[in-house]
Amino acid sequence: MRVQRGRFVTSYFLRRLLLIVPTFLGVSLLVFALTRLVPGGPIERMLNEAAMAAQPGVHVVNAGGRGGSTLSKQDLAQLEAYYGFDKPIVVSYADWLSKVVRLDLGNSTRYSEPVWDIIKSRFPISIFYGIATLILTYGVCIPLGIVKAIRHKTVFDNVTSLVIFFGYAIPGYVVGIALLTAFASKWHVFPLGGFVSDDFDDLSPHERVKDVLVHAVLPVLSYVAGAFALMTLMMKNSLMDNLAADYVRTAIAKGLTFRRAVFRHALRNSLIPIATSFGNNISLLVGGSFLIEKIFDIDGFGLLGFESLVERDYPVVLGIVVISSLLFMAGNILSDLCVALVDPRVKFGSGEGSA
Amino acid sequence: MTLSPLARRQWQRFKSIKRGYYSAWVLVALVLLSCGAELLVNNRALVVSYDGRWYFPTYGAFVPGTAFGLGYDYETNYRDLAKQLAADASKGWVLMPPVPYDAFENDLHDSAFPPYPPSLESRHFLGTDTTGRDVLARLVYGFRIAFAFSLVLLACNYLIGIAVGCAMGFWGGAFDLFFQRLIEVWSIVPSLYVIMIVASIMVPTFWTLTLVMVIFGWMSMTWYMRTATYKEKTRDYVMAARALGATNGRIIARHILPNTVSVIVTFMPFAIAGGITSLTALDYLGFGLPPPTPSWGDLLSQGTDNLDHPWIVTSVVGAMVVVLLTVTYIGEAIREAFDPKRFTFYE
Repeated sequence: MRVQRGRFVTSYFLRRLLLIVPTFLGVSLLVFALTRLVPGGPIERMLNEAAMAAQPGVHVVNAGGRGGSTLSKQDLAQLEAYYGFDKPIVVSYADWLSKVVRLDLGNSTRYSEPVWDIIKSRFPISIFYGIATLILTYGVCIPLGIVKAIRHKTVFDNVTSLVIFFGYAIPGYVVGIALLTAFASKWHVFPLGGFVSDDFDDLSPHERVKDVLVHAVLPVLSYVAGAFALMTLMMKNSLMDNLAADYVRTAIAKGLTFRRAVFRHALRNSLIPIATSFGNNISLLVGGSFLIEKIFDIDGFGLLGFESLVERDYPVVLGIVVISSLLFMAGNILSDLCVALVDPRVKFGSGEGSA
Repeated sequence: MTLSPLARRQWQRFKSIKRGYYSAWVLVALVLLSCGAELLVNNRALVVSYDGRWYFPTYGAFVPGTAFGLGYDYETNYRDLAKQLAADASKGWVLMPPVPYDAFENDLHDSAFPPYPPSLESRHFLGTDTTGRDVLARLVYGFRIAFAFSLVLLACNYLIGIAVGCAMGFWGGAFDLFFQRLIEVWSIVPSLYVIMIVASIMVPTFWTLTLVMVIFGWMSMTWYMRTATYKEKTRDYVMAARALGATNGRIIARHILPNTVSVIVTFMPFAIAGGITSLTALDYLGFGLPPPTPSWGDLLSQGTDNLDHPWIVTSVVGAMVVVLLTVTYIGEAIREAFDPKRFTFYE
């Protein structure tokens, strides 16, 4: 049995890995095509900027590509060739893809630097917040869920339910804005945003750590607020389901202590639903959230995605889409792996498994 | 229409959950009030009596200033008219709505720059935003738009989700497999970001934004419906119906769909909350409905840019908390009413 299960799981993951290729092609083609439909592409943005520099204060309206009086036709053609806008969509997509395979995401039109370098420089910040959020979320949710399940309908359960309900109903970004307004703007307990203070370089190592932590409190709280309610409820409900199951009753009837029945028997099975969502954390870990990074002005991956979209820096936009969809796929596979680890019954491969 | 005994019992159970039941009334009241928002929050008067004639300018074409002996033929400024007639009561009188501003009007003073703080005297009960528009007016009209948007979004997502999900669960086989893969691939698309990309390419309207969000959001209902149909299909009553000669269409419409109604109804409030949240998020990021559409997201972004004028942020956050909490209370109550499962637990 064990060998057979191993084979099932391996072939399942092989198939999952192979599915990445068509998925990736589909998603990237979709977004690539979208960015090509843009009336105000990077070239027009440059023209607009040139025109605005020439006439300060005059707003140039995008009129379907007729803003180009400041550039000669020849310059325009050169620019278009440089960014591959002169070729049909399929050809330039193939060009772009062949570069992506070689890990070359092109150059940013805004910074004229390689896209990969720009994106890479934002990773550490998002990962820092991601890990902090992850530890806090799981560290709070699993114990809290267990206690709530065991003490169902007690005062403790009801009081924590109120908090959880609030976190469940209100999205993380609204919590973030509320926290920012109260604790940063009104009472000045925490800084208004950013990853570190402006004078970070002048601080001693000890002060630096403190500076980063002080800046991190509100954003991490908002991230946690967005995730912990659902996770705690999931933990509580699945543990209660298991506590009501026959095998726990049998274990207790046989004379096992309640504590032992919970921790040795019910808990492992209750972790299965938690494991199914574990992979989603990869996206959060690296990708952050547009909203929370924008609210707190954190220079991470999410804010980069937002800013490059506002600036119509499409090579970066494409790079972000590529990386976030790859991460998402990796997360899905990781989730499945976790489930396979926790749940001995899992046999992937048949259609019913995914129902 | 008579309710089945089961539905009546569920309704009784819903009513017995007081939090959810009262929240439902609050939400219905909010929605009804926002439908008649023109009568409560408007810069047009409710009633004007002038020279023995009566005017009801709220709905319909505007009444030019010349009708009231004012020196202009564009729309009457009823607040000024009210002041004039209050000084000279012989001509007539004006009855203004409780909040005499609409969502688009910039009420500017010479003495200071907006945003103006809340004031009972100027009847800006929640203050104004950075361009002097009344915050309460924009909240009310913004709520109406966001709620309508969520309803339309819900209807579209449900229509596609129920149809496709039912078909997947009922027929299974290659059709099911094809859609499973399609949904799997489609769910990988970073939808919020792609919606933002689309919105940055063409300025969205109410309907195009709905369309784009449906394109990237129809999958979740499909999944639930597939599972529910799949379960129901194997029940004995379906086989009995088939043995009696019922067609597939009849089995789905008369037997399976009514039995999956708990799935359909349970997710509704959460879908509404999700619709409001995502529209507000998009508006906040500047990729939602274009200005000057009144929207909570727009107010939020003005508020976070002007944290020293906290009445903007607090108003929106307060409104969001109230609406989302009521919707979620209703959702929880419905879920409990439909869920016959009762937990056993150890003392």
